[in-house]
Amino acid sequence: MTGITDSESDASSVSKRLNKILETRVENDTNTLEGLKELSVFFKENTLQSRRNLRSKIEKRSLEINADFLSAFQVVKEKLDSVYNDVKAMNESVQIMTTQLHSTKTHTHRLIEQTLKLQSDAKKISMQQQVAEAFIGQFQLSPEQLALLTDSNISQSFFEALDKVHSIHERCRTLMQSGLRTVALDIMEQMSRYQEAGLDKLYRWAQFHCKGIESIEMSNLLTRAMARLQERPVLFKYVVHEYCISRRAVMVQMFIDALTSGGPGGTPKPIEAHSTDSKRYVGDMLAWLHQAIPNERENILLLLRDCSKEELSKDIDEALSNITEGVCNPLQVRLETVIQQETSPSNLYSVISLLKFYHNIISSVIPGSVLESVFIEQTSACRKQFFSLLEDIVAKMLQDRVEAPPSNLTPAPGVLHLLALLRQVLSVASVTENRQVDIVKIVASVIDPLLQAVSLSAARLTTTDMAVYLLNCFHQMASTLALYEFTDQRLERLQAQSDAQIDTLTSEQASSLVANLNLGPIYTILQDSSDAPLSQIPGMEPECLDSFFGKLEHFLMMPDMLLLPQINYLQSSNHRLEIQRRANEVISAIYRQLYQRIHDPKNMYSNPSHLMPRSPEQVHELLLGLKEPKKNENTSGIISL
Amino acid sequence: MSAGPYNYEYIFKYIIIGDMGVGKSCLLHQFTDKKFMADCPHTIGVEFGTRIIDVAGQKVKLQIWDTAGQERFRAVTRSYYRGAAGALMVYDITRRSTYNHLSSWLTDTRTLTNPSTVIFLIGNKCDLDSADGSQRDVTYEEAKQFADENGLMFVEASAKTGDNVEEAFLETAKKIYQSIQDGRLDLNAAESGVQHKPPQLGSDFTPNKDPCSC
Ligand SMILES: Nc1nc2c(ncn2[C@@H]2O[C@H](COP(=O)(O)OP(=O)(O)OP(=O)(O)O)[C@@H](O)[C@H]2O)c(=O)[nH]1
Ligand SMILES: [Mg+2]
Repeated sequence: MTGITDSESDASSVSKRLNKILETRVENDTNTLEGLKELSVFFKENTLQSRRNLRSKIEKRSLEINADFLSAFQVVKEKLDSVYNDVKAMNESVQIMTTQLHSTKTHTHRLIEQTLKLQSDAKKISMQQQVAEAFIGQFQLSPEQLALLTDSNISQSFFEALDKVHSIHERCRTLMQSGLRTVALDIMEQMSRYQEAGLDKLYRWAQFHCKGIESIEMSNLLTRAMARLQERPVLFKYVVHEYCISRRAVMVQMFIDALTSGGPGGTPKPIEAHSTDSKRYVGDMLAWLHQAIPNERENILLLLRDCSKEELSKDIDEALSNITEGVCNPLQVRLETVIQQETSPSNLYSVISLLKFYHNIISSVIPGSVLESVFIEQTSACRKQFFSLLEDIVAKMLQDRVEAPPSNLTPAPGVLHLLALLRQVLSVASVTENRQVDIVKIVASVIDPLLQAVSLSAARLTTTDMAVYLLNCFHQMASTLALYEFTDQRLERLQAQSDAQIDTLTSEQASSLVANLNLGPIYTILQDSSDAPLSQIPGMEPECLDSFFGKLEHFLMMPDMLLLPQINYLQSSNHRLEIQRRANEVISAIYRQLYQRIHDPKNMYSNPSHLMPRSPEQVHELLLGLKEPKKNENTSGIISL
Repeated sequence: MSAGPYNYEYIFKYIIIGDMGVGKSCLLHQFTDKKFMADCPHTIGVEFGTRIIDVAGQKVKLQIWDTAGQERFRAVTRSYYRGAAGALMVYDITRRSTYNHLSSWLTDTRTLTNPSTVIFLIGNKCDLDSADGSQRDVTYEEAKQFADENGLMFVEASAKTGDNVEEAFLETAKKIYQSIQDGRLDLNAAESGVQHKPPQLGSDFTPNKDPCSC
């Protein structure tokens, strides 16, 4: 196979070259085409001549073209030269400009730096200005505000300005803490000055306004002013004082009006229309005052409504005390007149009672006030006058009227009169506060001299009459006093005194019975402890005893028959009955003793039950109206015989 | 606000009168505190209470004087009628004697107060007139007739339950207010029982600027 291949390869390289030539296409060779095209311009005729000349012709033509090109290029060159010159000149100018620019630039740079610096300065300064303005805003007053603080008007804005002063003052503390001591102190001092000036103005204004305060008309400015002035207790007090003076005058005027003019159209009548009725007159005046006080409290609370409430109650009490001071004088004058002119002790005591009642009220409403002291003084003056009046009346009465006891032994009219007076006074006193001391004293002032007088006037009488009269008087006194409290001791004493008189009368009555029943000798013999049989003792014979039994029988049928006539004059039936009972007991006891002795065989009475048909029990029942208590040998009363 | 309680235009003075134990003090307490005091002690002399009410859109402060019914205080209590704008005359519907005394209470009131004083009759303790076991001793009709004959206003009330208590106090105030409006009650007269506070009071008060910050 290889041989074949060699011969084949030689053949192929030749054919390759041939192919290449064959494949060469003139139409694809632009240069050749161009050249041919050019050639066709001047090579018109394909002659030998022309073919011979072609070279020179081409060369000539090339020369011509070059010469053309040269001349044309000459122009270009000239033009280029001039351009060159221009550019060069420009370059020079630019060069100059550049240098100039450069120098300007260095120049401007400084300016810019300066401007920047100025700008930042300006910024800083404006900031400082803002700070300063803010500071002034916070720590100084505006001129308008300053004017508000000092001109003559008070308005809402005044309070705002004053608020500001206050808050600036407060802020200065912060300032001080941040180290600005001097400034802070300066400002504080300044603000203090403003504040003083402001408050001073406020004070004058408020004082002026309070001066004319006729009605309770109170503006909010005034109440705010009061709240401000509270910071300055002294100024505050002055203003309140001024207010009180005005209200005091108003209150006095109203009081006088109520006293003298009364209500619209005269209803209710003026208080003084009742000046002759002390109780009513004084009562009306004091009630009027009592009712005026809540109104005044109301008004002052209104004035101080914006104030801080702490510690205010003392100020209010003081103010009320101050306001009510005005009525003290008119009140006192009238009270004194009443006290001097009143002639009835019970009316006078009514006045005391009223004064005490209202004193209690006033001392709780406005303690420690001058008004209260008027009450204290007048109560004591009235009390003094009362007791002296009472003593005078009692003394006068006892001198003039406690005459000899009347024949019926009832208390003399003077005694009754004084007791009626006592009753009147006590009925007033018993509804008065703290009455015990007074009641004891009143009772003593009437009863003590009365007892004395009664004893004196009774001294001229017989024992029985005296005892009856005294008992009647004691009884009257006791029944007067029993109605009232705090009289127990007095009643006890009267009781003891009465008991003594009852004893006296009992023994008088018993003696009288013994005498009237002819019991005297029998009783004497009975007490004798002789051993002889009783029936044989003279006077104890049955015949003698019969006379006694006859009288006794009579007496038993009509026990009142032998009552001493004076006993019937006893006003107290209790006294009467007690005396009768106790006297009868004596008789009953003697009868029992006699009965026992007569029934005693050793006394040798022949027929005791015929002699004494009545048992001691029967006698006792008839005399004392009740069954004799068993085994009660009570013979008290005999001892005094 | 602190100024609140002082916001009123008028003060009316009232008295409460009537026999002891009819419930005068209880009525006052019911009105001022809205409470019933079951064991209220007898009043000694006079007691005092206040309350602010609304009458025709106006604030009115009532100043109420409660008097003792016990006879022994009559001398003191009679002095309090003077200058009352309103008088509440109370009886107890379960005790006829308290009703029988009304004419004497009325005489006192007429002589001791102003002609313009408003008198209001209250039959108290009407709670005791329950369907089962009424203790009523005075009929509504006869009391109403008494009131009409004497030109009095009248209700039956109970201090215990509070029935009609407000009404009695408020109606009295309305009537007084009418008298002022009609000019029948002269505010400037002494002892009219009414005090007028100028209306600007409190109206220009600016609550936001609290002056008490000091
Ligand atoms: N069931 C009932 N009891 C009442 C009523 N009101 C008062 N009471 C009772 O009646 C009694 C007397 O009441 P007070 O209010 O003290 O009477 P007062 O009229 O003020 O009496 P004085 O102060 O003595 O004049 C008290 O025990 C009350 O509990 C009521 O409406 N119903
Ligand atoms: Mg009471």
